[in-house]
Amino acid sequence: MTDTILRLMGPRAAPARRGIGVRLLAFIVLFSSFVTLVLTAIELYIDFRVDVNAIEERLNEIERGYLDSLGSSLWNVDLPQIRLQLDGILRLPDMRAAEVRETVPGIAAPVVVSAGAPSPYAALVRERAIKVSVRGGERTIGVFRVEASLEGVYQRLLNKTAIILVSQGVKTFIVSLFILFIVHRLVTRVLVDIAARLDSYELQGQAAPLRIPVPPGHHADELGRVVMALNGLFDGLHSANRQLVDINAELERDIAARLRAEQEVVRLNAGLEQRVRQRTAELEAANGELDSFVYSVSHDLRAPVRRIEGFTRLLGEDPDSALSDKGRHYLTRIRAGAGEMGEMIESFLKLSRSTRADLTVSTVDLSALAAQAVALLREREPDRAVTAEIQPGLTARGDPRLLDVVVGNLIGNAWKYSRNVAEAVIAFGAQESGGRTVYVVRDNGAGFAAELADRLFVPFVRLHRPEEFEGSGIGLATVRRILARHGGRIWAESDTGRGAAFFFTLWEPRGTDEPPHDPAGRG
Amino acid sequence: MSRHTILLVEDNADDAELTQTALARTRVDATLDIVTGGEDALDYLFGDGRPLPALVLLDLNLRGMSGLDVLHRIRARGATRRLPVVILTTSDNASDIAAGYDLGVNSYVRKPADLDSFTEVMRRLGLYWLHTNTPPPAAG
Repeated sequence: MTDTILRLMGPRAAPARRGIGVRLLAFIVLFSSFVTLVLTAIELYIDFRVDVNAIEERLNEIERGYLDSLGSSLWNVDLPQIRLQLDGILRLPDMRAAEVRETVPGIAAPVVVSAGAPSPYAALVRERAIKVSVRGGERTIGVFRVEASLEGVYQRLLNKTAIILVSQGVKTFIVSLFILFIVHRLVTRVLVDIAARLDSYELQGQAAPLRIPVPPGHHADELGRVVMALNGLFDGLHSANRQLVDINAELERDIAARLRAEQEVVRLNAGLEQRVRQRTAELEAANGELDSFVYSVSHDLRAPVRRIEGFTRLLGEDPDSALSDKGRHYLTRIRAGAGEMGEMIESFLKLSRSTRADLTVSTVDLSALAAQAVALLREREPDRAVTAEIQPGLTARGDPRLLDVVVGNLIGNAWKYSRNVAEAVIAFGAQESGGRTVYVVRDNGAGFAAELADRLFVPFVRLHRPEEFEGSGIGLATVRRILARHGGRIWAESDTGRGAAFFFTLWEPRGTDEPPHDPAGRG
Repeated sequence: MSRHTILLVEDNADDAELTQTALARTRVDATLDIVTGGEDALDYLFGDGRPLPALVLLDLNLRGMSGLDVLHRIRARGATRRLPVVILTTSDNASDIAAGYDLGVNSYVRKPADLDSFTEVMRRLGLYWLHTNTPPPAAG
């Protein structure tokens, strides 16, 4: 029995601790008890009223049947008759006490006849005056009192209550069990079945969607609709899952293809890089050979040029040489040519060295280099009045010797091309622009045509006739090469006759091969 | 006869003549002995009886034995280990300069291109090595 109830109460002991059955049973018992109580109370009340009314009616009958005869008995003072009558009254149901009391005034010992035992507890009491007709008038001679007990009423009600409660309780329990059984048969069992099917279903890798058969007899009811709705949902889920699986497969194929493509790109890049490295190495080797060649040729050319210079000098000074004026002119031209050649050789060597030499990086005082260059030029041409404005404290990381070539060259150019200006001004400074330091060398000299600015840095390109300004034409090419090795750039702005400005940078973010702020340096 | 002798190791006769001329223009009181190769220089220095020069001016670009080889030999011998040697050359190759000093040269001088400057260099060299500098004691 207990097992059955437990089985009826919930679908499975573990997953549903408070099954629908238990709650249903609790609600039914509670509500049924409440209704039973209310109805019982109403019924009892009605019964009580009926019983009380019956007693009242009986009292009325007693009054009607006994009052006159009691009056005549009392008038005649027939006490045994009164007692007989009172006993008769007490034999009626629910009557507990009856009494007749004489109330004629002036009698010393009035007649009192009583029967039964009056009770202090609640009871129905009726008192009536006993009247007799004397000579055409009515006269009150006593009081008739009847007391009816309600104990019987209460006892009956109690019994009835007990019967009702017991019978209702039994009925409620049996009905509840029956309802529980029906609910289990109709609903819970089906729900448990659905839950079990859902629990055991795996969405992944199923060929067909989950299908719950509509329980027999439920085709038209709510459960049937729930099952059909669930089946519809499973169909949707299944097809959505199928789509998802398809899309996943497609994505995986895409990713695989992309990976293959990336690997291909990496492979091609590697091949390309290998080729670039190889070509670069070849080019560097060729460049190196060319540089070495230029260097050694220049180096070897020094000695003969020096001899030409020396001997032509001696020839010019020799009093015995007897040179004509023309011969002396030729000698001057030879010496000028040799001098130019010597200068070119030195420039070649500088250019070559700017490429070949290892960079020895340290912190370089550019302001000091500029001041030194100006001092050297003043020493060489003391007659020229040139104002030099050098911003103090400009330092940079770089190779001191090569940066000296850069600053010396730019200051030298400024000095040279401001030769024809009355108040020449050369300025060296720096400004921050776009997160980097841009150094600038300015002059107020001859300048050059703006459209020629790019050609300045090509070797042997000269923008002025040699008669105007001497020079080898590779100074700025050397400067550019040195700056490139320092990860920097150079550019110029000018216009003819309005001076020139040469800007340069060091260690620009892209394409630098030396750390700009390496405190250890390599020096 | 001068008080001092300077040995010039120079394989180019023209360069030797220019050096000779430059020295003559300085009025430094010295005789210039010229040898044209490394072997000749070693013969001159290590030959019997001849006193050592006050100064050796050594060119680097010599045919046959190089100037640095000559310097190495000079420094290897006890008799000439302390002999003042000045490299006088057109080269300003950093490796040459470093090698020269590594081998114990006393000075490294580049020949200026023009004669006036060269004359001035010779004058200073003569003044310094023949007059200002105290020569090493004669080695036994």
